[in-house]
Amino acid sequence: MLVIDNVTKSYGSLTALQGVSLELKAGEFFGLLGPNGAGKSTLMALIAGLRRPDSGGIRLDGQALTPDNLGSRNKLGFVPQTIALYEDLTAEENLRIFGRLYGLQGTLLRERIDQALVTAHLQDRRRHYVKTFSGGMQRRLNIVAALLHRPKLLLCDEPTVGVDPQSRNAIFEFLQMLNSEGLAVIYSTHYMEEASKLCSRIAIIDHGRMLAIGTLPQLMTRLPFRESLRIEGANLTRDSLAPLLSYGELTSDADAHVLTLHANTRLSDVFREAEAARLPTSSFQLTRPDLEDLFLHLTGKSLRDT
Amino acid sequence: MNPILTLFLKDIAHFRRDRTSLLLTFVVPAVLIYIFGNVFGVNRESTGPVGIPLAVVNQAEGAKSADAIIAALQKEKTFRLITTTMDANGADVPLTEDKVRSLFRENRIRFALIFPPDTESDDTFGLKVKYLNNPRNDIETQTVNGILQKTIFMAAPSVLMDALRKRATQAIGAAGTESFYRSIARSVGQSFNTDPEKVFDEMMRGDILSPSSSSADTPDSAAVPSDFFDRMIKIESEQVSGKQVKNAAATRSVGGWAVMFMLFSVSGAATSLFEEKKAGLFRRILAAPVKRSHILWSKYLFCTALGMVQLAALFVAGKLLFRIDVTSNLANLILICLAASSACTAFGMLLASIARSPAAASGIATFLILTMSALGGAWFPISLMPDFIQSLSKLTIVYWAMEGFLQVLWANCTFRDLLPYLGVLAGIAAVINAISVWRFNRGEMFD
Ligand SMILES: Nc1ncnc2c1ncn2[C@@H]1O[C@H](COP(=O)(O)OP(=O)(O)OP(=O)(O)O)[C@@H](O)[C@H]1O
Ligand SMILES: [Mg+2]
Repeated sequence: MLVIDNVTKSYGSLTALQGVSLELKAGEFFGLLGPNGAGKSTLMALIAGLRRPDSGGIRLDGQALTPDNLGSRNKLGFVPQTIALYEDLTAEENLRIFGRLYGLQGTLLRERIDQALVTAHLQDRRRHYVKTFSGGMQRRLNIVAALLHRPKLLLCDEPTVGVDPQSRNAIFEFLQMLNSEGLAVIYSTHYMEEASKLCSRIAIIDHGRMLAIGTLPQLMTRLPFRESLRIEGANLTRDSLAPLLSYGELTSDADAHVLTLHANTRLSDVFREAEAARLPTSSFQLTRPDLEDLFLHLTGKSLRDT
Repeated sequence: MNPILTLFLKDIAHFRRDRTSLLLTFVVPAVLIYIFGNVFGVNRESTGPVGIPLAVVNQAEGAKSADAIIAALQKEKTFRLITTTMDANGADVPLTEDKVRSLFRENRIRFALIFPPDTESDDTFGLKVKYLNNPRNDIETQTVNGILQKTIFMAAPSVLMDALRKRATQAIGAAGTESFYRSIARSVGQSFNTDPEKVFDEMMRGDILSPSSSSADTPDSAAVPSDFFDRMIKIESEQVSGKQVKNAAATRSVGGWAVMFMLFSVSGAATSLFEEKKAGLFRRILAAPVKRSHILWSKYLFCTALGMVQLAALFVAGKLLFRIDVTSNLANLILICLAASSACTAFGMLLASIARSPAAASGIATFLILTMSALGGAWFPISLMPDFIQSLSKLTIVYWAMEGFLQVLWANCTFRDLLPYLGVLAGIAAVINAISVWRFNRGEMFD
């Protein structure tokens, strides 16, 4: 459905995106994971047709997405990273304006506005000024305002910044529901929990480059290390752990031993073997690598600290 | 719905909610125009200040000219004449020069006329008056000087003739005087094509020697310039334009004020583009099937409409407060309003396109609007300014809009007469718009 082909974009001397390619299938929930300044918003702006790439192209159903081409705008919904609403107008008025800009009118527009308000849990506040809304309420309105015209592809640029966990979950559920009805989503975030919870495929992006792309398990294979077992016990020697050596590599320090498992190892096999050797399996600690580790591995820096 | 219309309606909804904008657009200009209107007396039938204290000391016992001038000044409502003061016992006594000078020191008066004992002397031609003033306030002083001069000159001709007669009689004796008058009568007869005998008769009968009361609009019969002078200095005055105008001062100034206020409110509205940019709204709007030009046009339409509504409100206020006639040339008035507000909007959009921040925009706006208003003649007639400034005037929107308003309201012009003004304003708008579009395309507004 969406094809991004070797796109590059610079702001003056700063290269914000470099050779980014991506293909998106209809109904996919795609995550863009990257730290501040990675180029996520820039990529969103290019897809939304707000900016023109310096080189490369972006096509939606075969049609180029550029600032001049208004033709395929109706297929796209864009949730900007900052809350983009008229604060001095009511929730309803805001939705009416954005609905009309997509050509909706009359009964259809009214119906869509009603649905959007229900979805955002704002039906009681429809006639209230947006400036009187809490941050989370504004975020929710910010999202539904991009869906009035029922796009095929929703671009969500960090839509949950500053939202409490409860509202955040509501937004997740809402997006997942829409996704299950066939809406494709590109969701940018720097929270790996969000990416791993929501997205069927994830791209890791930093300094304008796509470092890795794939499903979560696929991405994990990029890591040279996998699940590992931390085994503590003052009386345990390397010799006593010898039965486990066929399942992975053992490293030891003063406090504990760590068994890094081979790729195709099944945990149940390891535990059966350990019990047979009367090792204290209840003190085994399993560590799974996550996106954080992957990010650290790919970029040499931690996702959160950037 | 067309995106331009949608965004235009959005601006209206926004504006209606914004009390400050409403106040600044409609109430403040009306209040200010009302205040300034009263300062410049545009609400009175005849204009000018009233009741400025003027001390008068008459030391010239029995001088006819002094009495005549004082009488004339008494009728002039610009002045409140002070001729007496209270002494220690509370009794009114005539003012003295010393007392006048002390009143000056106490800032109780700023103007005084003193007729010295030799106001009319036999050995000088004309009369002698001392004028004391404290020009604390420039405008007031100029006004007073002007009206004093006018009053004295209107009362003076008889005085001058008296002096002339006295000196003639003194110098050449009674017989010589007669031949002097004959020679004057002869030359008057030739110049004005009348019978010299008749002129001489009139002169000798006393039309000139003791002035008659033939003219109605002069204040005192003793001080009336003679018929003879009326005939000798004949100034024919005819008002060729604006005769139908009920309230001249207000009609002259309303256009300038209106344009100035409109420039302020319209550039304020145009620079609201900054707020929308800051709120990230353009990103959302431009992700929809909307072009930049749609946003710009909607803002342009909104500002022009706002300007029109504000002008309408001001003219209604002008009609109610100052009886300005706005209805008799209504179609042309609407046209010039439209041209003026679209030119003002172009100016506002240009500001939004060149400034980097709303603060910068409003700073530039204030500076340029005040400069243009002064140069363009909104504050004082540009004919008072040096030539090179007058040619700068013609580069301002204010000038062309004001002249256009005067054409409509003052000269009650036809559409054809108005056309050049509409054309210039439309031309200015087109040129400015071209610059703004170019700037908007290169600038950061839609980044
Ligand atoms: N309008 C602009 N002008 C100049 N540089 C820009 C502009 N917008 C973004 N950049 C730069 O491009 C790079 C990528 O920015 P971008 O906004 O795409 O990052 P991001 O991944 O969305 O970051 P964040 O998580 O902070 O939103 C950054 O270095 C940023 O400074
Ligand atoms: Mg961003």
